[in-house]
Amino acid sequence: MPPQNPEKPKMSEVVSVVAHQLKNPLSVIKGYLEVLIGEELGKINAKQKEYLSDAFENVGRMSRIVNYLLDISRIEEGRYELKLEKVNLEKITSQVIKDFSFWVKASNCQILFKKPKKLPKVLVDPLKIRQVIENLISNAVKYKSVGLGKIEISIKKKDKNLTFACKDNGIGIPKEDFKKVFSKFYRSEKAIELDPSGSGLGLHINKAIVTLAGGKIWFRKNKDVGMTFYFTLPIAKT
Amino acid sequence: MKQKILMIEDDKFLRKIYRDKLTRAGFDFIEATNGEEGLNKVISESPDLVLLDLILPRKNGFDVLIEMKRNENTKKIPVIILSNLGQESDIKRGLELGAQDYLVKPEISLSEVVDKVKEWIIKK
Repeated sequence: MPPQNPEKPKMSEVVSVVAHQLKNPLSVIKGYLEVLIGEELGKINAKQKEYLSDAFENVGRMSRIVNYLLDISRIEEGRYELKLEKVNLEKITSQVIKDFSFWVKASNCQILFKKPKKLPKVLVDPLKIRQVIENLISNAVKYKSVGLGKIEISIKKKDKNLTFACKDNGIGIPKEDFKKVFSKFYRSEKAIELDPSGSGLGLHINKAIVTLAGGKIWFRKNKDVGMTFYFTLPIAKT
Repeated sequence: MKQKILMIEDDKFLRKIYRDKLTRAGFDFIEATNGEEGLNKVISESPDLVLLDLILPRKNGFDVLIEMKRNENTKKIPVIILSNLGQESDIKRGLELGAQDYLVKPEISLSEVVDKVKEWIIKK
Protein backbone atom coordinates (compact mmCIF):
# COMPACT_ATOMS: atom_id res chain seq x y z
CA MET A 1 0.00 0.00 0.00
CA PRO A 2 1.45 3.43 -0.87
CA PRO A 3 2.23 5.65 2.12
CA GLN A 4 -0.54 8.07 3.01
CA ASN A 5 0.44 11.70 2.90
CA PRO A 6 -1.65 13.79 5.29
CA GLU A 7 -0.39 16.97 3.56
CA LYS A 8 -1.65 15.88 0.16
CA PRO A 9 -3.58 18.82 -1.29
CA LYS A 10 -7.12 18.43 -2.53
CA MET A 11 -7.57 18.25 -6.29
CA SER A 12 -9.57 21.49 -6.24
CA GLU A 13 -6.61 23.23 -4.57
CA VAL A 14 -4.22 21.90 -7.21
CA VAL A 15 -6.54 23.07 -9.97
CA SER A 16 -6.80 26.49 -8.36
CA VAL A 17 -3.01 26.91 -8.09
CA VAL A 18 -2.37 25.66 -11.62
CA ALA A 19 -5.08 27.91 -13.05
CA HIS A 20 -3.59 30.93 -11.27
CA GLN A 21 -0.11 30.02 -12.52
CA LEU A 22 -1.42 29.94 -16.09
CA LYS A 23 -2.83 33.45 -15.93
CA ASN A 24 0.48 35.34 -16.18
CA PRO A 25 1.79 33.44 -19.24
CA LEU A 26 -1.60 33.93 -20.90
CA SER A 27 -1.46 37.67 -20.18
CA VAL A 28 2.01 37.85 -21.70
CA ILE A 29 1.09 35.96 -24.89
CA LYS A 30 -2.11 37.95 -25.26
CA GLY A 31 -0.18 41.19 -24.82
CA TYR A 32 2.44 40.34 -27.46
CA LEU A 33 -0.27 39.30 -29.93
CA GLU A 34 -2.24 42.48 -29.27
CA VAL A 35 0.83 44.59 -30.10
CA LEU A 36 1.60 42.61 -33.29
CA ILE A 37 -2.00 42.52 -34.56
CA GLY A 38 -2.32 46.23 -33.83
CA GLU A 39 0.76 46.75 -36.05
CA GLU A 40 2.40 48.84 -33.34
CA LEU A 41 5.78 47.43 -34.37
CA GLY A 42 5.24 47.62 -38.13
CA LYS A 43 2.99 46.37 -40.91
CA ILE A 44 2.17 42.68 -41.22
CA ASN A 45 0.66 40.95 -44.22
CA ALA A 46 -2.89 39.59 -44.38
CA LYS A 47 -1.87 35.96 -43.77
CA GLN A 48 0.31 36.91 -40.80
CA LYS A 49 -2.59 38.91 -39.38
CA GLU A 50 -4.94 35.96 -39.87
CA TYR A 51 -2.60 33.54 -38.05
CA LEU A 52 -1.93 35.97 -35.22
CA SER A 53 -5.67 36.66 -34.87
CA ASP A 54 -6.32 32.91 -34.68
CA ALA A 55 -3.66 32.65 -31.97
CA PHE A 56 -5.27 35.59 -30.13
CA GLU A 57 -8.68 33.90 -30.30
CA ASN A 58 -7.20 30.70 -28.91
CA VAL A 59 -5.52 32.51 -26.04
CA GLY A 60 -8.98 33.88 -25.27
CA ARG A 61 -10.32 30.32 -25.24
CA MET A 62 -7.57 29.17 -22.89
CA SER A 63 -8.27 32.12 -20.67
CA ARG A 64 -11.95 31.20 -20.45
CA ILE A 65 -11.08 27.59 -19.60
CA VAL A 66 -8.73 28.77 -16.85
CA ASN A 67 -11.51 30.95 -15.43
CA TYR A 68 -13.93 28.04 -15.60
CA LEU A 69 -11.47 25.82 -13.72
CA LEU A 70 -11.02 28.48 -11.06
CA ASP A 71 -14.79 28.83 -10.74
CA ILE A 72 -15.15 25.05 -10.42
CA SER A 73 -12.49 24.81 -7.69
CA ARG A 74 -14.15 27.67 -5.78
CA ILE A 75 -17.57 26.04 -6.12
CA GLU A 76 -16.18 22.75 -4.77
CA GLU A 77 -14.47 24.47 -1.85
CA GLY A 78 -17.55 26.55 -1.06
CA ARG A 79 -15.63 29.75 -1.80
CA TYR A 80 -17.59 30.92 -4.83
CA GLU A 81 -18.76 34.46 -4.19
CA LEU A 82 -21.56 36.53 -5.67
CA LYS A 83 -21.86 40.27 -5.32
CA LEU A 84 -25.62 40.61 -5.03
CA GLU A 85 -27.07 43.83 -6.43
CA LYS A 86 -30.38 45.01 -7.81
CA VAL A 87 -30.09 44.21 -11.48
CA ASN A 88 -32.13 45.02 -14.59
CA LEU A 89 -32.22 41.60 -16.25
CA GLU A 90 -33.78 42.88 -19.47
CA LYS A 91 -31.00 45.45 -19.91
CA ILE A 92 -28.25 42.85 -19.43
CA THR A 93 -29.99 40.47 -21.85
CA SER A 94 -30.31 43.19 -24.50
CA GLN A 95 -26.62 44.05 -24.09
CA VAL A 96 -25.55 40.41 -24.55
CA ILE A 97 -27.75 40.07 -27.65
CA LYS A 98 -26.25 43.27 -29.05
CA ASP A 99 -22.68 42.14 -28.33
CA PHE A 100 -23.33 38.74 -29.91
CA SER A 101 -25.23 40.10 -32.93
CA PHE A 102 -22.36 39.89 -35.43
CA TRP A 103 -21.41 36.34 -34.42
CA VAL A 104 -25.08 35.22 -34.30
CA LYS A 105 -25.70 36.47 -37.84
CA ALA A 106 -22.45 34.95 -39.12
CA SER A 107 -23.53 31.61 -37.59
CA ASN A 108 -26.80 31.71 -39.58
CA CYS A 109 -28.92 32.28 -36.49
CA GLN A 110 -31.44 34.88 -35.43
CA ILE A 111 -32.53 35.92 -31.97
CA LEU A 112 -36.01 37.10 -31.15
CA PHE A 113 -36.17 38.82 -27.78
CA LYS A 114 -39.73 39.11 -26.56
CA LYS A 115 -39.14 42.30 -24.66
CA PRO A 116 -41.19 42.44 -21.52
CA LYS A 117 -43.11 45.44 -20.27
CA LYS A 118 -41.39 47.13 -17.38
CA LEU A 119 -40.16 44.46 -15.01
CA PRO A 120 -38.88 44.68 -11.44
CA LYS A 121 -35.18 44.28 -10.75
CA VAL A 122 -33.72 41.01 -9.52
CA LEU A 123 -31.12 40.41 -6.83
CA VAL A 124 -28.05 38.85 -8.43
CA ASP A 125 -24.38 39.44 -9.31
CA PRO A 126 -24.55 41.39 -12.61
CA LEU A 127 -21.31 40.01 -14.05
CA LYS A 128 -22.09 36.42 -13.14
CA ILE A 129 -25.63 36.51 -14.48
CA ARG A 130 -24.29 38.03 -17.69
CA GLN A 131 -21.99 34.99 -17.87
CA VAL A 132 -25.04 32.68 -17.50
CA ILE A 133 -26.99 34.49 -20.23
CA GLU A 134 -23.96 34.50 -22.55
CA ASN A 135 -23.47 30.78 -21.99
CA LEU A 136 -27.12 29.88 -22.69
CA ILE A 137 -27.27 31.99 -25.85
CA SER A 138 -23.90 30.80 -27.14
CA ASN A 139 -24.94 27.16 -26.55
CA ALA A 140 -28.10 27.81 -28.59
CA VAL A 141 -25.97 29.24 -31.42
CA LYS A 142 -23.18 26.64 -31.31
CA TYR A 143 -25.52 23.65 -31.20
CA LYS A 144 -27.90 24.69 -33.97
CA SER A 145 -29.33 22.22 -36.48
CA VAL A 146 -28.97 22.44 -40.23
CA GLY A 147 -30.53 25.63 -41.64
CA LEU A 148 -31.49 28.80 -39.84
CA GLY A 149 -31.05 28.69 -36.07
CA LYS A 150 -33.98 30.38 -34.33
CA ILE A 151 -33.53 31.48 -30.75
CA GLU A 152 -36.31 33.00 -28.68
CA ILE A 153 -35.53 34.80 -25.44
CA SER A 154 -38.20 35.85 -22.98
CA ILE A 155 -38.38 37.18 -19.42
CA LYS A 156 -41.58 36.92 -17.42
CA LYS A 157 -42.65 37.83 -13.91
CA LYS A 158 -44.23 35.10 -11.84
CA ASP A 159 -44.95 35.53 -8.13
CA LYS A 160 -41.74 36.68 -6.44
CA ASN A 161 -39.43 35.71 -9.30
CA LEU A 162 -38.49 36.57 -12.85
CA THR A 163 -38.20 33.63 -15.24
CA PHE A 164 -35.72 33.85 -18.09
CA ALA A 165 -36.18 31.41 -21.01
CA CYS A 166 -33.92 30.66 -23.97
CA LYS A 167 -35.65 28.50 -26.59
CA ASP A 168 -33.80 27.10 -29.58
CA ASN A 169 -34.49 24.84 -32.57
CA GLY A 170 -31.10 23.15 -32.30
CA ILE A 171 -29.81 19.61 -32.06
CA GLY A 172 -31.30 19.05 -28.61
CA ILE A 173 -30.11 16.74 -25.86
CA PRO A 174 -30.69 12.96 -25.88
CA LYS A 175 -33.28 11.90 -23.28
CA GLU A 176 -30.85 9.45 -21.65
CA ASP A 177 -28.50 12.37 -20.88
CA PHE A 178 -31.06 14.55 -19.12
CA LYS A 179 -29.79 13.72 -15.63
CA LYS A 180 -26.21 14.61 -16.55
CA VAL A 181 -26.80 17.99 -18.20
CA PHE A 182 -25.64 20.12 -15.24
CA SER A 183 -22.81 17.75 -14.29
CA LYS A 184 -19.22 18.82 -14.60
CA PHE A 185 -17.68 18.09 -18.03
CA TYR A 186 -20.96 16.77 -19.49
CA ARG A 187 -21.12 17.05 -23.28
CA SER A 188 -23.44 15.13 -25.60
CA GLU A 189 -21.85 13.23 -28.48
CA LYS A 190 -23.45 15.58 -31.01
CA ALA A 191 -22.18 18.60 -29.11
CA ILE A 192 -18.63 17.24 -29.20
CA GLU A 193 -18.94 16.72 -32.96
CA LEU A 194 -20.18 20.27 -33.54
CA ASP A 195 -17.73 21.99 -31.20
CA PRO A 196 -14.83 19.82 -30.05
CA SER A 197 -13.32 22.71 -28.09
CA GLY A 198 -16.14 23.11 -25.53
CA SER A 199 -15.26 22.46 -21.88
CA GLY A 200 -18.53 21.01 -20.57
CA LEU A 201 -18.32 23.34 -17.58
CA GLY A 202 -20.65 26.20 -18.56
CA LEU A 203 -23.96 24.70 -17.45
CA HIS A 204 -22.44 23.35 -14.23
CA ILE A 205 -21.25 26.87 -13.35
CA ASN A 206 -24.58 28.39 -14.45
CA LYS A 207 -26.34 26.15 -11.96
CA ALA A 208 -24.00 27.22 -9.14
CA ILE A 209 -24.52 30.92 -9.93
CA VAL A 210 -28.31 30.73 -10.18
CA THR A 211 -28.60 28.53 -7.08
CA LEU A 212 -26.34 30.81 -5.02
CA ALA A 213 -28.52 33.76 -6.04
CA GLY A 214 -31.57 31.90 -4.70
CA GLY A 215 -32.98 30.84 -8.08
CA LYS A 216 -33.49 27.64 -10.05
CA ILE A 217 -32.29 26.47 -13.45
CA TRP A 218 -33.79 23.72 -15.57
CA PHE A 219 -34.62 22.75 -19.16
CA ARG A 220 -37.33 21.14 -21.24
CA LYS A 221 -37.35 19.44 -24.57
CA ASN A 222 -39.51 21.44 -26.98
CA LYS A 223 -42.53 19.73 -28.53
CA ASP A 224 -41.12 20.06 -32.04
CA VAL A 225 -37.34 20.47 -32.04
CA GLY A 226 -34.65 21.82 -29.76
CA MET A 227 -34.55 22.70 -26.08
CA THR A 228 -35.60 25.52 -23.79
CA PHE A 229 -33.43 26.46 -20.82
CA TYR A 230 -34.98 28.42 -17.98
CA PHE A 231 -33.77 30.09 -14.84
CA THR A 232 -35.52 32.05 -12.15
CA LEU A 233 -34.16 34.80 -9.93
CA PRO A 234 -35.78 36.40 -6.89
CA ILE A 235 -37.18 39.90 -7.39
CA ALA A 236 -35.27 42.49 -5.35
CA LYS A 237 -37.20 44.13 -2.54
CA THR A 238 -37.79 47.85 -3.16
CA MET B 1 8.29 66.38 -18.41
CA LYS B 2 7.26 62.79 -18.88
CA GLN B 3 4.96 61.20 -16.32
CA LYS B 4 6.57 58.38 -14.37
CA ILE B 5 4.88 54.99 -13.93
CA LEU B 6 6.16 52.44 -11.42
CA MET B 7 5.19 48.84 -12.10
CA ILE B 8 5.55 46.43 -9.16
CA GLU B 9 5.37 42.99 -10.79
CA ASP B 10 7.45 39.85 -10.33
CA ASP B 11 6.84 38.41 -13.82
CA LYS B 12 9.68 39.63 -16.07
CA PHE B 13 7.71 39.13 -19.28
CA LEU B 14 4.80 41.20 -18.03
CA ARG B 15 7.21 43.94 -16.96
CA LYS B 16 8.79 43.86 -20.40
CA ILE B 17 5.55 44.13 -22.33
CA TYR B 18 4.24 46.97 -20.14
CA ARG B 19 7.64 48.70 -20.28
CA ASP B 20 7.47 48.66 -24.09
CA LYS B 21 3.81 49.64 -24.26
CA LEU B 22 3.94 52.48 -21.72
CA THR B 23 7.22 53.82 -23.09
CA ARG B 24 5.65 53.91 -26.57
CA ALA B 25 2.68 55.74 -25.04
CA GLY B 26 5.09 58.45 -23.84
CA PHE B 27 5.62 57.54 -20.17
CA ASP B 28 8.77 57.05 -18.15
CA PHE B 29 8.73 53.47 -16.89
CA ILE B 30 10.38 52.22 -13.72
CA GLU B 31 9.95 48.80 -12.23
CA ALA B 32 10.29 46.68 -9.10
CA THR B 33 10.26 42.90 -8.87
CA ASN B 34 8.98 42.48 -5.31
CA GLY B 35 6.88 44.31 -2.74
CA GLU B 36 9.77 45.56 -0.62
CA GLU B 37 11.70 46.98 -3.58
CA GLY B 38 8.43 48.44 -4.87
CA LEU B 39 7.72 50.30 -1.64
CA ASN B 40 11.29 51.66 -1.55
CA LYS B 41 10.91 52.93 -5.13
CA VAL B 42 7.54 54.51 -4.33
CA ILE B 43 9.35 56.57 -1.68
CA SER B 44 12.60 57.28 -3.56
CA GLU B 45 11.19 57.84 -7.07
CA SER B 46 7.83 59.52 -6.30
CA PRO B 47 6.09 58.05 -9.36
CA ASP B 48 2.97 59.66 -10.81
CA LEU B 49 1.14 56.33 -10.72
CA VAL B 50 1.77 52.78 -9.47
CA LEU B 51 0.70 49.61 -11.29
CA LEU B 52 0.60 47.04 -8.52
CA ASP B 53 0.46 43.25 -8.65
CA LEU B 54 -0.84 41.52 -5.51
CA ILE B 55 0.91 38.15 -5.32
CA LEU B 56 4.49 39.33 -4.85
CA PRO B 57 7.59 38.02 -3.10
CA ARG B 58 8.81 39.62 0.16
CA LYS B 59 5.79 41.88 0.65
CA ASN B 60 2.42 41.28 -0.95
CA GLY B 61 0.58 43.98 -2.87
CA PHE B 62 -2.07 44.58 -0.20
CA ASP B 63 0.68 45.34 2.36
CA VAL B 64 2.44 47.65 -0.11
CA LEU B 65 -0.84 49.51 -0.57
CA ILE B 66 -1.48 49.75 3.18
CA GLU B 67 1.99 51.19 3.79
CA MET B 68 1.71 53.61 0.87
CA LYS B 69 -1.58 54.96 2.16
CA ARG B 70 -0.19 55.34 5.71
CA ASN B 71 2.71 57.48 4.50
CA GLU B 72 1.91 61.21 4.10
CA ASN B 73 4.39 61.48 1.22
CA THR B 74 2.97 58.61 -0.84
CA LYS B 75 -0.70 58.35 0.06
CA LYS B 76 -1.87 60.58 -2.81
CA ILE B 77 -0.11 58.58 -5.53
CA PRO B 78 -2.80 56.79 -7.58
CA VAL B 79 -2.55 53.00 -7.52
CA ILE B 80 -4.02 50.65 -10.11
CA ILE B 81 -4.04 47.02 -9.03
CA LEU B 82 -3.30 44.63 -11.89
CA SER B 83 -3.79 41.15 -10.53
CA ASN B 84 -4.78 37.59 -11.31
CA LEU B 85 -7.01 37.59 -8.24
CA GLY B 86 -10.49 38.30 -9.51
CA GLN B 87 -12.70 37.28 -6.60
CA GLU B 88 -15.15 39.90 -5.40
CA SER B 89 -13.58 39.89 -1.91
CA ASP B 90 -10.11 40.69 -3.36
CA ILE B 91 -11.48 43.53 -5.48
CA LYS B 92 -13.43 44.94 -2.53
CA ARG B 93 -10.38 44.76 -0.28
CA GLY B 94 -8.11 46.44 -2.84
CA LEU B 95 -10.53 49.33 -3.41
CA GLU B 96 -11.25 49.72 0.31
CA LEU B 97 -7.53 49.97 0.99
CA GLY B 98 -7.40 52.95 -1.37
CA ALA B 99 -6.55 51.65 -4.85
CA GLN B 100 -8.07 53.82 -7.58
CA ASP B 101 -8.86 50.89 -9.83
CA TYR B 102 -8.67 47.10 -9.88
CA LEU B 103 -7.96 45.35 -13.19
CA VAL B 104 -7.94 41.58 -13.63
CA LYS B 105 -5.34 39.82 -15.81
CA PRO B 106 -5.59 38.40 -18.41
CA GLU B 107 -9.09 39.71 -19.21
CA ILE B 108 -7.87 43.28 -19.59
CA SER B 109 -5.97 44.29 -22.74
CA LEU B 110 -2.72 46.29 -22.77
CA SER B 111 -4.49 49.21 -24.43
CA GLU B 112 -7.19 49.23 -21.79
CA VAL B 113 -4.53 49.37 -19.06
CA VAL B 114 -2.83 52.30 -20.81
CA ASP B 115 -6.21 54.07 -21.10
CA LYS B 116 -6.77 53.58 -17.36
CA VAL B 117 -3.29 54.89 -16.58
CA LYS B 118 -3.99 58.02 -18.66
CA GLU B 119 -7.41 58.45 -17.04
CA TRP B 120 -6.02 58.37 -13.50
CA ILE B 121 -3.06 60.58 -14.29
CA ILE B 122 -5.43 63.24 -15.65
CA LYS B 123 -7.62 62.94 -12.53
CA LYS B 124 -4.62 63.26 -10.24
